[in-house]
Amino acid sequence: MIILGSNSEVAQAFVEKALEGGEKYAKIFLCTSNVETTQKFAKHIDVKFLQNSEIIELNIEGEIDYAKLSDLSSDLLFCATGYLGLGTEEGLFDKKNTEKIIDINYAKLVPLLNFFAEKMERQRSGTMIVLSSVAGDRGRQSNFIYGSAKAGLTAYLSGLRNYLFSKKVHVLTVKPGFMDTKMTEGLPLNPKLTATPKQAAAVIYKAYKNQRNVVYVLPVWFLIMMIIRNIPEFIFKKLKL
Amino acid sequence: MKPNFIQKVTNWGNFPVVEKEIRSEDTTEKIKEFVRSNNEIIARGNGRCYGDASLSEHIFSTKRLNKLISFDRLNGVFECESGVLLSEILEVAVPQGYFLYVTPGTKFITLGGAIASDVHGKNHHAEGCFSEYVLEFSLLNENGDVLKCSRTENIEKFWATIGGMGLTGIILSAKFKLKNIETAYIRQESIKAENLDAIFELFDESESWTYNVAWIDCLQKGKNIGRSIMMRGEHAFQHQLPEKLKQNPLRLKSKPIPTIPFYFPDFVLNNITVKIFNFLYFNKQSKKEVKNFVDYETFFYPLDVVNDWNKIYGKSGFIQYQMVIPKAAGKEGMRKILETIALSGNGSFLAVLKLFGDNNPLAYNSFPLEGYTLALDFKVNSKLKKLVEKLDQIVEDYGGRIYLTKDSMSKSSLTNYLQNVQNPKFVSLQHKRILNNK
Repeated sequence: MIILGSNSEVAQAFVEKALEGGEKYAKIFLCTSNVETTQKFAKHIDVKFLQNSEIIELNIEGEIDYAKLSDLSSDLLFCATGYLGLGTEEGLFDKKNTEKIIDINYAKLVPLLNFFAEKMERQRSGTMIVLSSVAGDRGRQSNFIYGSAKAGLTAYLSGLRNYLFSKKVHVLTVKPGFMDTKMTEGLPLNPKLTATPKQAAAVIYKAYKNQRNVVYVLPVWFLIMMIIRNIPEFIFKKLKL
Repeated sequence: MKPNFIQKVTNWGNFPVVEKEIRSEDTTEKIKEFVRSNNEIIARGNGRCYGDASLSEHIFSTKRLNKLISFDRLNGVFECESGVLLSEILEVAVPQGYFLYVTPGTKFITLGGAIASDVHGKNHHAEGCFSEYVLEFSLLNENGDVLKCSRTENIEKFWATIGGMGLTGIILSAKFKLKNIETAYIRQESIKAENLDAIFELFDESESWTYNVAWIDCLQKGKNIGRSIMMRGEHAFQHQLPEKLKQNPLRLKSKPIPTIPFYFPDFVLNNITVKIFNFLYFNKQSKKEVKNFVDYETFFYPLDVVNDWNKIYGKSGFIQYQMVIPKAAGKEGMRKILETIALSGNGSFLAVLKLFGDNNPLAYNSFPLEGYTLALDFKVNSKLKKLVEKLDQIVEDYGGRIYLTKDSMSKSSLTNYLQNVQNPKFVSLQHKRILNNK
């Protein structure tokens, strides 16, 4: 198993969910920009599941050393790499913020995913699970830089799934909705629309086992986004969403 | 959306409810930063204390300190961060043939909470409090330093923190011993006692059992006062188990856990429904004595089989009243307490009686004293304050005291027993309330 963004609580919960079922992996590769905190997680799964893992330092914002990644091989890739950044109100015209959001969620991420897609294409098996976002379903004024980057990612994943289908590689797009994680701590999120990492991991793991294509973590988000997607533009532009 | 860390927060009793800052971090550096920049901080684990003990102006939630650190499977020594739940420790330890030496009546508390409350269980008379098995912990103190505390290092901090209700700092992680078990089952005996004399006799008679506790019907009056069921148990050995359990003695089948979906309306729990419940519970067992094998979940954590069971007490919440009365005066004191409750009509549904053994004199902040302890749940209503005042008076008259982990309104002469915990950094609403009412 290869994890991108191993310090993400959803990624960690997914690893635990996969291991709880009793499955063993030869090795779990934990790619992260934050080696120190990921070490705690590596130790955690060693103690809890006697699971062997290796931490690979990977900072998506910098130059990626692909040579370092060339030995990584697995049938399963889980990508939780993402960056919320500042929303419209606080950071729309903050150039650094805009660049960082686009880089981490799309521009730098797609080549990295392509690298692993190529490996899986060659081995003619595997599943790529990638966290996108409901924000990518339609650009809304409150955070459309993030939303557009995720929209790009969602479109990429859709195309990739289409491309890899005949190569026996599966792509699962996950749209989490509100999550109770470090990224959203203190935000006034409606608890009925918010999932814990553990809940999300269970949904994602099931979707992976059932070879689903696109999954919303909480079903209610499918409904919400269906409505939002279908509001005619001449009305939508007047809304404060 | 801008973050706002001021949130509504309340503990297991849903009383009191306050709006305070609540933060969580997962690295020591960030926790230090939080401690440096605030005063009146308290650590909070899973919010399973009942009242205001883990509430303050600035609450530090340990929910992201949730990693295991080491497990020596040969010697049964476990180490993890303070926000790890006992349930998770058991998930890992039980299949390896280990159990917690001391566990309270729920496994959904954190390790940090277990140390700060120095929790006790059904085996207090035989094996003491949780702290007996704690080897060391790391504590972030009021100066922002991380101290390793044990029986040989930072000894003073070690003992002040045990039962110290989080007032000495934030426990980051701890190392503790586990006990060997052969099976995940308990050999249990349940024995009915008609009244208080009978149950006190049973406690004396059951002293050699590792675990013993009684469920008591506190609405009985007159000659039936103290009607109860004694439950005593031992970890079962493999050879004792019935054939079908022998196959996989350390693995329990997972059971679905229902959730109470909403707060029950106030009329659901009243004296009549409690009486009916108590009647059914007492008569569920028709024989005077039943011997059987039950899994550890059933024996130790009967209430954990329903999520959010606290919601049956309604939105206004409930308190748990737990006191201890020294052994010599125990029977007389208990009788007075039970009479007072029966008269008040404020029926408690789950009352638990237990005889504590000797206390560890080194753990001076721990609640238990040698004597009888009774834990009762009461719904918050207009009559409650009066009842608590009356009960407090009896406890005081008989030289007892109140368990801080449950307390939210008792008088300070019964709760003001912590020593060496005074500092401006770590203060809880409970501690302030106690000091202000002195």
